[in-house]
Amino acid sequence: MTSPTEPPEGNWWDEPVSRRESMWLGIAGIWSIGIFSWMRGFTEFGDQNPTGTTYDVSSEEYRQRVSEYKNAAEDTDRGLVPPGDDVYIGAMRYLWDGLPVVLETGKEYDFHIGSYDVQHGFSIRPEGTLSQQINLQVYPDTEWVIPMTFDEPDTYHVICNEFCGEGHRTMHGTLVVEEG
Amino acid sequence: MLARITDLFENDYGPDGFRTCSVTGLDIHRSAEKYVKLFGLTAVIALVVGGIFAFNVAMTRWELVGLLEPSSYYTHLSMHAWNLLIFWMVFMEIAILYVGGPMILGRRLPWTKVAAAGWVTMVVSAIGVNYSIWTTEAPNQAPLLTAYVPLPVSSLFYGMAILFLVGATIAALPFFVTIWKEKRGRPEATLPLIAFGAFVTGIIAVEAILGGIAAFGYALAWRLEFIATADAGVYRHLYWIVGHGTQQINLVAMITVWYFLTHVVGGAVVVSEKVSRSAFILYLFFINMGAAHHLLVDPGISANWRIWNTSYAFYGAAFASMIHAFAIPAGIEVGRRRRGLGGGLFGWLTSAPWKNPIFAAITFSVILFGFLGGITGVVMGQMQVNMTWHNTFAAVGHFHATVALGTTLAFMGLVFFVVRTMFQRQFVSGFLAMLTPYAYAGAMGIATIMMMYAGILYGVPRRTAEVVRNIPGSDFSLAAATPLFAVFGIFAVLAILGGVCFVAVAVGSLLFGDRINEGDNDDLLPEGGLRSDGGKPVHAYDMRGTFTLCLVFMAVFVASYVLNWYLLTELWAIGL
Ligand SMILES: [Cu+2]
Repeated sequence: MTSPTEPPEGNWWDEPVSRRESMWLGIAGIWSIGIFSWMRGFTEFGDQNPTGTTYDVSSEEYRQRVSEYKNAAEDTDRGLVPPGDDVYIGAMRYLWDGLPVVLETGKEYDFHIGSYDVQHGFSIRPEGTLSQQINLQVYPDTEWVIPMTFDEPDTYHVICNEFCGEGHRTMHGTLVVEEG
Repeated sequence: MLARITDLFENDYGPDGFRTCSVTGLDIHRSAEKYVKLFGLTAVIALVVGGIFAFNVAMTRWELVGLLEPSSYYTHLSMHAWNLLIFWMVFMEIAILYVGGPMILGRRLPWTKVAAAGWVTMVVSAIGVNYSIWTTEAPNQAPLLTAYVPLPVSSLFYGMAILFLVGATIAALPFFVTIWKEKRGRPEATLPLIAFGAFVTGIIAVEAILGGIAAFGYALAWRLEFIATADAGVYRHLYWIVGHGTQQINLVAMITVWYFLTHVVGGAVVVSEKVSRSAFILYLFFINMGAAHHLLVDPGISANWRIWNTSYAFYGAAFASMIHAFAIPAGIEVGRRRRGLGGGLFGWLTSAPWKNPIFAAITFSVILFGFLGGITGVVMGQMQVNMTWHNTFAAVGHFHATVALGTTLAFMGLVFFVVRTMFQRQFVSGFLAMLTPYAYAGAMGIATIMMMYAGILYGVPRRTAEVVRNIPGSDFSLAAATPLFAVFGIFAVLAILGGVCFVAVAVGSLLFGDRINEGDNDDLLPEGGLRSDGGKPVHAYDMRGTFTLCLVFMAVFVASYVLNWYLLTELWAIGL
């Protein structure tokens, strides 16, 4: 009797394991190691890794930086054209400060994201292909710098995907990516 | 009516307070049975409350109906989350600990006053949490499940959440005392697998509870202005110890229930004590690390920290789940083959008692948890792929697959089992009982898949009242996802009807079901009775049906993995 409701009899540790079960253990084990290695390897050879660098900065100071950046940027009717490779975005209930912004394809930008108040979610997708989307968490008191290079010109929509208050769903902004 | 209810807690016990269960053969003491019933019934009440809010939430996200305004939506969403993800689950889990400890070991429940105090604390604080959510007023916001600082959430909420965790700890004490007494009385004896699984569940619960008290305590200190600021990152690290930890308790409790009920109603055996126990040990060490998958796209954490933790250290816990994924069906296969019921590759499965709602609920729980919940958990838990899942509706799909399908179905099966064997009541409607797992699993399965598609293919965020047809103040919307939401909405309603069916049968049977007489429960048992010995050792039986099913599972796993990575590499370059 091998019942889960009764103590196993005798030397249960040395009972043989069925051949099929052993084979499955092998398959599952190899798969586990395999997906671990792929995930680790992708940080070396892959193009999409959500790491970047982070700085501790008070929300007021971050707001200051965004506003300095906005002053330095060129204000066009399609949005701000960043003065260099840095793009600053400040999340606040219920808007994205610094958006819309006009960017070029093929150029690497350092995105600076941070929040002035609570946590938000930075969720971007191009209008043309909604299945291409990324989602990053935005903290207050933190400046996260993450590089991005766009290869397709399109309008990229930013919406907040972390609950930040009652008006949360209205939190929308755009990145206009043009042929560089 | 009152007599009818107090009568629910009575059975024919011998002079020593014990009775022998006609189905499981276990010696059950009055004290253990009484508290299993009490916690189980309370869990069902939480399920009803959470289920009512499930309807409101689903009908708001289905924007064609658009039931609630945002001002009330988040309150309803919070009520839905706390009553189903926490209260329904945790009350059931305490009941499972009392089954896995005193009942399996044939002991009385020790420290019954402590168990009672635990129950009272849990009930009071659960009502308190509900009250604090329901009375949320600006500037406070609805907490949702996570109550992320520095979003202002009422201090009453944090206080009541802490009290609930304390209550659950108190209620778990009699279980630990049972194990301690058992080991002291019989130090050389091995615990039965169910008791062992329950013990691992209990330890994981303690880890989660400590994390929860730390997280909510930190937030409460900030709300009461004992400390000036609360750091979002620190809170998230602490919070996810409990936020994800509670769901790991669900998982381990669910697997323990799988072993128990596939054995009792399906005739399953344990094909290898060594392998199954090792898998529980792997959980003990690694499963809580999986909480890291909530922090994969957060600032300020190194890539190595993310990769090590979210992989549960080389997928130690995912490997453990794959072990159970083999061991559970293999147990059924061998159990039925040794009864001579296993012709061909799948004869053991096609001849299984599919009309028994307990067996059907457990089997669907195994299948849907594995294929929908398990696979998506590992896939979205990969650091890079997580960028495409994080905080989208797909993440909601994942945990509905694990918790609303896997765990809830297993617990529904367990409640039905308890109605028949402990409350000793016939189902008021055998047909409705039979229909329940099919209706719920089928409809919820489809609703869950729609959530995943809406998140992955259209990037629909979670936690919004509306965005699909209308993002106020913008011409942009995610209207392309509207057809998915139509399917989602219809099947969400059907799933809730499945839930109504479940409650109607469970509660209806308690109030109006006929009392079970000698022999009435024989239909629950597998053909040939619970004990069957084909003469061969277990490992010598053919497990090729299970092996084939597992290969199908692996093929789906690989395909989902490759597809998700393909979608990811289609993106623009992000990061270093
Ligand atoms: Cu926001």
